[in-house]
Amino acid sequence: MTAVSYVPPNVLPPLLQKFAPLLKRKWFRQLVLAPPTITRRRFSNKTEDYGVFKPSLIAHIGQLSIYVQDIGRSRQWYETLGGLRHSRTCEQEPHPFKPGWTIRCCYMSATEHEECLVLVEERDPEGKVTVPSGMSFFHTAFELEGNRLEDVFAFAAQAKQAGFSRNYGPVRHNSQPPLGDGETGGNVACYFYDPDYNNVEFCGAMDTIENYRARYGDTKGSSRA
Amino acid sequence: MSAHVGQPKIAAAKLQHHVMYVSDLNRSKDFYMKLFDLQFSALNHPDSSAAMRLSNQEMHFFSFGFYHHDLCLVKHHKLKMDNNSMLHFTLMARDRDAFDAIRKRAAEMSISVRDGRLIASAKRQPDQRAFCLQDPDRHWIEIIEERRP
Repeated sequence: MTAVSYVPPNVLPPLLQKFAPLLKRKWFRQLVLAPPTITRRRFSNKTEDYGVFKPSLIAHIGQLSIYVQDIGRSRQWYETLGGLRHSRTCEQEPHPFKPGWTIRCCYMSATEHEECLVLVEERDPEGKVTVPSGMSFFHTAFELEGNRLEDVFAFAAQAKQAGFSRNYGPVRHNSQPPLGDGETGGNVACYFYDPDYNNVEFCGAMDTIENYRARYGDTKGSSRA
Repeated sequence: MSAHVGQPKIAAAKLQHHVMYVSDLNRSKDFYMKLFDLQFSALNHPDSSAAMRLSNQEMHFFSFGFYHHDLCLVKHHKLKMDNNSMLHFTLMARDRDAFDAIRKRAAEMSISVRDGRLIASAKRQPDQRAFCLQDPDRHWIEIIEERRP
């Protein structure tokens, strides 16, 4: 099938993608945040100034289903870049909440997570495949095997060698040079657009309840903003 | 893209976190914290984060209780969100009691629920309970009872 070429409005233009690594420079972040700093509106985005971790009622994310224009094209992308495994592709079935519409589902598995991703072709009542808007989610993230900084860097190198272009990263989402981009979470991450411009993160080494206090102790987040 | 054929050496192990657009951060924050006890773990705002300032976005981070963040809500201050790139996502209730608690809270919050899995072709485990509901932005959420071996 022929996919429609559509670039969602939230996609980072190529020029901005080239400048994005500057976020790893503290002077650049300070420059961008100069207006709220001068006007005293700036505040900390660090976790130690917010969360007290407690268990929630949720254990983990079980599955995500995203719209794609061409299951074959997307399946190849997730297999080749992310190493996801094809579990099964189903026949067309009624759309779960749009009467008269249909969907076709391709179930993909990660090494430790069965059928975690569903690639969905959605067809309107005339049988025409819909074009994903890109505006339901900002990104979705897969944890990489090994779950270490080195694994994310090796993954990024492996992806580059295979011809995939990153839209951001690898960076570490904290303020520590040389990799920190001033964000929060501590995870080391790189980002790619799939064939429908769904933004996909591959990451590792995210802060946890156990290691967060050990890493930062009683340091106030505002002191390392 | 000129991808090679074959399995990469380092592969994705699991789906870990998801970051979705909402239209009203406070309304959605209340919803997710009340219904699931999600823990608010950080706030990236255009006045606190250079990346958010450049992208005109604001992001609220939530933890399930182990990782720093598992679910994040984002408001784009220039663009309008919709439901046309994601069909649904599934949250695994920690255990039987957690599943029952979510169901009870949904009733107390007058949230309409739909029994069973959302997609007809999704796998069904014997005796595994599931129901679905929509968040304030009509994102479909499927809740499934985690089965411990």
